[in-house]
Amino acid sequence: MTEDVVVTNALTKRFGELVAVSSLDLKISRGVVYGLIGPNGSGKTTAIKVMNGLLRATSGSARLLDEEVPVRGVIHRIGYMPQEMAIYTDLTVHENLELFAGMYSMSRGNFEGAEKDLLEMIDLAERRDSLVATLSGGMKHRVSLACALVHDPELVFLDEPTVGVDPELRKGFWDYFAELKSAGKTVVLTTHYMDEAVRCDIVGMMRLGEMIAEGTPESLMKAAGTTTLEDAFLANAKEGSV
Amino acid sequence: MNGHRMLAVARKTLRSLRHDRRTAGFLIFMPLFMIAIFGYTFGGDLRDVEVAILNLDTGGSDGSVADAIIAEISYGDTLKLSILSDGHTDPLSTAEGVVRDADAWAAVVFGQGFTAEVEEGIAAMKQGLPVSPCQVVVLLDGSNPNIAQAVVAEVTAAVQRVLVTEYGFNPPIAVHPEMIYGEGAEFIDFFAPGVMGLAAMMVTLMLSIISFVHERANGTLDRLLTTPVTEGEIVGGYALAFGLVALVQSTVILLAAVILFRVEIVGSPLLVLLTIFLLGIGSQGLGFILSSNAKNEFQAVQFMPLILFPSILLAGVFWPLEAVPELLRPVSSFIPLTYAVDACRSIMIRGWGLGEVWPQLLILAGLAVVLLTLSAYSLKKRR
Repeated sequence: MTEDVVVTNALTKRFGELVAVSSLDLKISRGVVYGLIGPNGSGKTTAIKVMNGLLRATSGSARLLDEEVPVRGVIHRIGYMPQEMAIYTDLTVHENLELFAGMYSMSRGNFEGAEKDLLEMIDLAERRDSLVATLSGGMKHRVSLACALVHDPELVFLDEPTVGVDPELRKGFWDYFAELKSAGKTVVLTTHYMDEAVRCDIVGMMRLGEMIAEGTPESLMKAAGTTTLEDAFLANAKEGSV
Repeated sequence: MNGHRMLAVARKTLRSLRHDRRTAGFLIFMPLFMIAIFGYTFGGDLRDVEVAILNLDTGGSDGSVADAIIAEISYGDTLKLSILSDGHTDPLSTAEGVVRDADAWAAVVFGQGFTAEVEEGIAAMKQGLPVSPCQVVVLLDGSNPNIAQAVVAEVTAAVQRVLVTEYGFNPPIAVHPEMIYGEGAEFIDFFAPGVMGLAAMMVTLMLSIISFVHERANGTLDRLLTTPVTEGEIVGGYALAFGLVALVQSTVILLAAVILFRVEIVGSPLLVLLTIFLLGIGSQGLGFILSSNAKNEFQAVQFMPLILFPSILLAGVFWPLEAVPELLRPVSSFIPLTYAVDACRSIMIRGWGLGEVWPQLLILAGLAVVLLTLSAYSLKKRR
């Protein structure tokens, strides 16, 4: 039996009258790449922020790695990359990575190894000592991803990890997510790119704060009678609004 | 130049202000605040300077000249007199102790035969004989030159008024100041501790406000909070960093004061630095709390004058607390800089150690703990 590392029960987040996330029920098993897809304002980022303890749920509950949110005991086993850059532009790439490693009390030896691998993955080994302010938007995004992964978390939340990343490197990212998965880690990500969401094991389609469909990309396309995930989303959205 | 385009820019700027009501309110409130605080502070003269009186004078046939002088001094409101008992075994040491313990800025001592000496002097003068002036000794705490000068001036003026009134001319009485603290102290000795505290507070407060608003706006604060780091650790880390910045800055000021202006540090420079460190971390906490109420850097910097002007004017940096109008004196007690400047001055000029300045350090440490705790709490609250 597979272990569920993310479980939400009727998770709801309201901002005044606006229901950003409505009664979300999620079960994400260990060792999968789970993609939350949907247009802007569909509640993907809010859901991830609630799960990471940055926003308090209005009602319902969430558990990560078997601990109620906001987690403390298992927090060092979780990684989070927010949608905004959220790294220190007045520090170098290395200093940013070192800071986040410090937050997780990593030993110097472990950090040095992790830094080397991550800098290769994000293709920024040569810019290790550059100030982040001097990097391009895409490069900053890659540094932000590396900061989320530096402590080798077993559950990673990535909010739009491939925005602003060129296609070649984006492929590299997905290969890396696959590597994480094969190492038994769980990746929960949001994306606008439907073509790359096909590479997720499970996709959750969100619209107006609600989960309108969930399943493997193949099953979703098959059920909607479409050949692309984008069309499958549109078909589900249309069905939901009827 | 295109007038339409220029007007469009002006309209845009004013509209932005209209949408930011706090800034609009600030633009009205700030000048009022400044004129009020400057007006009140600059309008204030020295009042209620604590001075002890030791009157050993046994008087003469027409009563005591010392009593008349004391009555004259107490008539004004510059000095606040407390009369020391002459029943002690060593009353002079008691008077000196009062100044040494900073219970009074000065002690005015009238000797046992003061009236007799004055009367003898007057008689000699009337006969055209040479007279040596009799003395009123003023034991002074010269750590604040403003106050020391004012005390001597008040006593001298009172002596002259009494004698001219009583005897119709000015007999030879010398007001003789004896420095308990601050022998040879100049205004720079008085300013240096104040400027050092002010600079440390300004820089720490500014860095703290700007840094935290930046952290919030960039999302880095939120991101840090998804890691194992606690709110207390973030606030503590910042306090440590900015406290060290304040230390480095104070060291530079201390060295410059000693090398360039020959300021003498009678007490321990390390104790001065400890005081500044405590002030620095307290200011960081204050900056953090203020920044949590600002949405952007623009709103955040508006807090600076609200804190800085009262600190500059009411904390005893340039003017003694005794020159602060009574109405505003309670405000001085709530400004951390007041305690830091007082402690630094006592260490640097009076040569006081931890045994004497601990109350100020305790207040600074207490304020720092309270402000940092509130800072950490404000972080928890926003989750």
